[in-house]
Amino acid sequence: MQRISVTVRLNRSTLQFDDAAYARLETYLAESASLLEGDPDPQEILSDLEQAVADQCTRRLRPGQTVVTLAELVPALEEIGSVQTPTASAAPEQTMRPTSRPLQQVSEGAVISGVCQGLARYFGLNVTALRIFAVLLLLLTGGGVILVYLALMLLFPFAPLEPNGQPLRWLPARSRAFAEFLARKFSLVS
Amino acid sequence: MIVESKLAPIRKGLLEFLVLRIVGTRSVYVPDILRRLAGTEFATQEGTLYPLLSKLRREDLVQYDWQESDAGPPRKYYRLTDAGRAQLAALDDYWNRINRTIADLGH
Repeated sequence: MQRISVTVRLNRSTLQFDDAAYARLETYLAESASLLEGDPDPQEILSDLEQAVADQCTRRLRPGQTVVTLAELVPALEEIGSVQTPTASAAPEQTMRPTSRPLQQVSEGAVISGVCQGLARYFGLNVTALRIFAVLLLLLTGGGVILVYLALMLLFPFAPLEPNGQPLRWLPARSRAFAEFLARKFSLVS
Repeated sequence: MIVESKLAPIRKGLLEFLVLRIVGTRSVYVPDILRRLAGTEFATQEGTLYPLLSKLRREDLVQYDWQESDAGPPRKYYRLTDAGRAQLAALDDYWNRINRTIADLGH
């Protein structure tokens, strides 16, 4: 028995790759992803690159050929080139941002309202460690920390949702709506 | 003889300006941009252009629309935003001033 090909979805195109080409493609995309580390929007660039690979490989397939091999992929990747990040003209501003970023609640992936995530992001802490610490505080203070959490929930503005980001679970979505309702009601936050 | 290592950063720095110029002439998709630059000192690759266009889009200088193509999936067509047009005008102006300065200094 021998595996002949792998079907790969590349952004909006679907193509068949043989094993060797698939391995090479995986390496290229992994390299690109690591080169884009620190880019604020790597997903978009990776999607564009995937599409470029699909287009370039499709163009190189001989009539009747359905499976991409290294013979098509290698020149395709050569033409696309490895990822070069632009000399960021906004670089000083972007490196400043983590320190000047305000305390916010981060809804994506939040457990309650995103206060811990906001604090972790602001102070550069591990969010899981911070959450465990918060639970410990909860036990130690006999629930008193709940009031602190509620206060922070009302005081911290929400970080803008990521593009097509959704508060992941039921509770964050509700607590966000609730906090926004209270804030409007008592005009605590603009 | 000019040392290549001195020219590379100049080209790299100017690439953004050139891309804005190309996008400014009409709405284009990436292979159009590559074709315009191919054979010039600024010949470049998709691996360079996509990160650059992503940055320009984030800076709100370009935006794109999806357009159907005859062959294959829809394509991203880029065009300048108003801010992009303003920045291109400023860059054009600056570029002309630099050229004048260089010419005035003589050699």
